[in-house]
Amino acid sequence: MNSQRLMALLVAIIISAPLLLPDGQGIGLVNAILIWSIFVIGFDLVFGVAGMLSFGHAAFFGVGAYTLSLLTMRMGWEFIPSLGAAGVVGGALALVFSYFAIRVSGLFFALLTLALSQLIYIMAGTKLRMLTGGVDGIAGVPRPDLFGIDFYDDGNYYFFLLALFILALLISGLIRISPLGQALKAIKSNEVRAEQIGFNVQRLRRSVFTISGVFAGVSGGLLASLIFYVGPQMLHWTTSGDVVIMVLLGGMGTLFGPILGVAIFEFMREWLSTQTSHWYGILGLIFIICTIGMPKGIAGLITQLWDRIMPGGKS
Amino acid sequence: MNSTAEAKHVLRCEDIEVSYGAFKAVTNVTYKFKPGLLYGLIGPNGAGKTTLMNALSGRARISKGRVFLNDQEITKQSPHARTWAGLGRSFQITQIFAEMTVFENLRLAAQAHRFRLQPFWRPVGKFKEIANDAEKVLSEIGLESFGHVNAGSLSHGDQRALEIGLALLSEPKVLLLDEPLAGVGHDVGEKAVELIRRVSQGRTVLLIEHNMDVVMEISDEIIVMLAGEILASGNAETIKQDPRVRTAYLGEDE
Repeated sequence: MNSQRLMALLVAIIISAPLLLPDGQGIGLVNAILIWSIFVIGFDLVFGVAGMLSFGHAAFFGVGAYTLSLLTMRMGWEFIPSLGAAGVVGGALALVFSYFAIRVSGLFFALLTLALSQLIYIMAGTKLRMLTGGVDGIAGVPRPDLFGIDFYDDGNYYFFLLALFILALLISGLIRISPLGQALKAIKSNEVRAEQIGFNVQRLRRSVFTISGVFAGVSGGLLASLIFYVGPQMLHWTTSGDVVIMVLLGGMGTLFGPILGVAIFEFMREWLSTQTSHWYGILGLIFIICTIGMPKGIAGLITQLWDRIMPGGKS
Repeated sequence: MNSTAEAKHVLRCEDIEVSYGAFKAVTNVTYKFKPGLLYGLIGPNGAGKTTLMNALSGRARISKGRVFLNDQEITKQSPHARTWAGLGRSFQITQIFAEMTVFENLRLAAQAHRFRLQPFWRPVGKFKEIANDAEKVLSEIGLESFGHVNAGSLSHGDQRALEIGLALLSEPKVLLLDEPLAGVGHDVGEKAVELIRRVSQGRTVLLIEHNMDVVMEISDEIIVMLAGEILASGNAETIKQDPRVRTAYLGEDE
């Protein structure tokens, strides 16, 4: 056992909580964790692996949510093809963003993605009101209708989300250890050298940005169906900010760390918001303390503790 | 016809100029590099040696003139496209993937060379061919016992050797080496010179180096730069005798 496996075990315990706890307690929370995890698993490919800080992912997430809602509610599409379309549209928008933003890096990249996603947010709330329902959003987003199972029951929907979560985890895990993932790590480590040994840096960045857009689009569609609603708030840049916090809190660049970040973030959101209306400020404070105290997030802390308990037992 | 022209000159610069605002870092550089020769590029600090190398490898924008690699124009190509076309380089300031192992560094260079589109459907360890390429170069540069060491913790001399190894994996026809011996101790230096000799077999090498004894000893031809221009070129004896070089570079008065 190593710290990686310990984190995997922690994740497994968290996501199987509804099965372990009596009466399926915490099912709503875990469903939200599964959906946001799909988002951060994709986001960390861009942020943690390739080293690009994007504040534009809310756009792909929100556009995915609208796509699923519109296709199922107005066009009469089935849920699964609509979810696929949510991913495709999220990825396509990410590809479009990348043509503008990939030219620059670092802070400029973060700001450009932020500006582009805010543009989508404003458009959804105003110009595209006919389509998006404006600031009111669209209520009544459906859930899947498969094999005669009632997915409007949260306990059943849990298994649907769990399957997609595991699929997302496998895909992301494979990308990380594939030549593509290694090339992205190389770009993060030393862009000049990566380019000089023959990597097409721009194209690689564009591809991972698009892939993470697909993850965001799918998770956006899933969240809309979980809460039966989509509104422009999902497109707001604070959604991107939340995801950055989740990944940093959990440990960027690790497969399981960001999921632990999601779990803590969502737990805080759920629990703190019942205690005080200033929950977001308190969450921010906790985040600041965490980044100072454990810059590598929970993943870093676990690895550190593990090395202390099991000195020398690296593998 | 074409093949003879190719055999004659592997790399060709036609009146190239690199300018930063009004300052011309490199100007009027026209030169034809023959295949299989080792060229020493010398000149005082600020003469434009590294800028010329940057212009050739695509890291500096050429404001005027053209560059050809094997008769194919590469003037406007990006660095990675030039690498694919057969041009490898090492840097004055070591550029390696410091937090990865030596083997992983080399494997990255191998996959960059082998795959135009990076596969994402299988773990990198399953691609035996790139591991083999990396292992081969690992022993070629004499680091076979350091494969699992983090590249950042290698000695400076070994990092310089790794740089050359990374460039070798793209199977370059032309290899640009920017001060590979800088900061390398004497003992290691001899090993490094041996490595440079070895990698120059069958390919064109352009070497920037400040150690005159080394340059004079291993270069087939020497190019002297001053104030962005080529001042003189020729074999070691010609250069040593050239009064302009003695005045300008070696600082000797007549």
